[in-house]
Amino acid sequence: MNLRNRQLIPSFSRPPSRVLIRKVARYAEDLLAVIYESLREFALPIKDKTVFLKANLVGHDPHGFINTHPAVIAAARESFLKLGAARVLIGDGPALDRDTQAILESVRLREFTGPLTYGPGRDFSDLNIDDVERVPLETRASLLKELYLPKTVLGADFFVSMPKLKTHHWAGVTLSMKNLFGIVPGSCYGWPKNILHWAGIDRSILDINAAARPDFVIVDGILGMEGNGPIQGNPKHTGVLLFGDDPVAADSTACRVMGLRPEKVDYLSRAATMLGHMEATKIQQLGESVASVRTPFAVVPEFQALCEPEVK
Amino acid sequence: MPLSALLAHLHRAQHPDGGWPFHAGGRSRVEPTCWALLVFANSSASAQPNIAGGLHFLRSQQLPDGSWPSADGISSGGWVTSLAALTLAQFPACEKSVHVALEWLCDDYPRDSSRWQKFLKSFGTAKQHVSHNDEFRGWGWTPRTSSWVEPTAFALLAFAALRAKTPAVGPGLVSEPGILAELASQISDRRALAIGLLYDRMCAGGGWNCGNPRVYGVDGESLILPTCWALLALRTAPEHPHRTLSLSWLQKSFATIASAASLAVAQLTLETYDLPVPSAPRQLTDFSAAELSEQGTHVASWAALALNSSRAWPLRFYESTVTNQQPPATSHQPQP
Repeated sequence: MNLRNRQLIPSFSRPPSRVLIRKVARYAEDLLAVIYESLREFALPIKDKTVFLKANLVGHDPHGFINTHPAVIAAARESFLKLGAARVLIGDGPALDRDTQAILESVRLREFTGPLTYGPGRDFSDLNIDDVERVPLETRASLLKELYLPKTVLGADFFVSMPKLKTHHWAGVTLSMKNLFGIVPGSCYGWPKNILHWAGIDRSILDINAAARPDFVIVDGILGMEGNGPIQGNPKHTGVLLFGDDPVAADSTACRVMGLRPEKVDYLSRAATMLGHMEATKIQQLGESVASVRTPFAVVPEFQALCEPEVK
Repeated sequence: MPLSALLAHLHRAQHPDGGWPFHAGGRSRVEPTCWALLVFANSSASAQPNIAGGLHFLRSQQLPDGSWPSADGISSGGWVTSLAALTLAQFPACEKSVHVALEWLCDDYPRDSSRWQKFLKSFGTAKQHVSHNDEFRGWGWTPRTSSWVEPTAFALLAFAALRAKTPAVGPGLVSEPGILAELASQISDRRALAIGLLYDRMCAGGGWNCGNPRVYGVDGESLILPTCWALLALRTAPEHPHRTLSLSWLQKSFATIASAASLAVAQLTLETYDLPVPSAPRQLTDFSAAELSEQGTHVASWAALALNSSRAWPLRFYESTVTNQQPPATSHQPQP
């Protein structure tokens, strides 16, 4: 069983990270081709492995700007299988509504993926009710000493965080690192996982990512959300998919695409010391340039300091 | 799918340790064990071995302070304590376990409405983007966090189950009348605050979400399951316009329900209030036992309870427990 990597590597000794940006105007485009070709550029070690896709399924989303779009999830699943993965599992532990089946019906995931078996270690896992295992939090950034995390996530060979490109009213932005709140099981910690708020949202994000660092990131930024995210903001068309082999680098680049300064996001600036690269000079930029896709996002008043000066 | 098929499925899913897992192959957990036990407690089938095993598992998991952990290995109790207490209250010879559990619940105050937090908020050092009335206090999912709708509802359901069994929070519950009177007083105080909290957290237009009806000035949307648990918890409370509005929201929303879990709990809720169950795109009987079990023992159990027309919980338990205690005023009025 892979109990996830605990790669606490100082930034100065970590090799450069790679982030790839692709322009994709609409979900109706050939996402399979875009994602498959993008993943090939990273030469990922997934042959005969079990890949786990951690989508961001928050809740009912009739207009498609809250959750990772099912077309992106389905295309990623197909791409990893084409690239030789033995199994590709999908899952999430929605934070506010424990009726995960209702959310799946609402987002019409099966219309894009085809039939999905349901349960721990099957095609779709509700991480809220997965079997759990104790994971000590060695970083101790928050007040938490340990968390009980889903075995399906801990046991996967290759862990992919697939967030939506969104601002967040408590954390500033919610991207691949904040997306990992969804692996904290509601059956243990509730709906919402309020213990993480009391332990400090930013510091909890650090602890969880240090305990279960994603191996890869795919950000759905075709249609994002600005303002009062993660559920009550406004849609923001950005027209990008973003790929990265380092969650800190991917999230930092996503911030720059949103016209936000990653160094002003508390958890990102802390993560840059041990979990990945934030500085643009240490990120190998592939595909489109950040400038060519930059789309300033509005934030709630408390996070105005995140905005790059010209978009304040 | 007949109820008997679901019962057979639940029977097969029970582990040798007496507990039930969420899914086949998983470890026994307190929550699915409680729901399965409630099914068998309401079943006319010969379920004594299932019940004995389940009770043994629950007793073995209770922590010395009276609470239950949500998973094996977790050293502190949490929201499942309410669920375990309301489950054990259905059975004889569990009084001691229930008593210490209720004592733990009465001592478990959320941190968000503590005097220290109120003091901090008065200086603007804590973020205030929600419009809660901090005078009300319920329960959190984990100790020393914030009040939320569902754990508060489960605690009220535990109190209600106890009242149904022992109307004066009862004779026979504990041997010492002094302790009993103190516990009854604590329950009464916590109950009033919790009912006030539920009404305070109702969403505009009726119904509940997790407990944030309005964030940054934007109304949140109600969800089926939190609404149902809140309504079931308020079944024994006096008539209130918020409750009427929320029942109306649930009836209107029923036609949009597509999942077995929400269908089952919504049906349980409406029937507990003697209200007709509207039609929905799918009926519970459209789901196979295997399909329901795939979604978890809790979903299979909710469906089994809903399909059992002779169930005592939650329907009959409330028939003799309606009180005349007035809840505190809420901080906002229901929308027309």
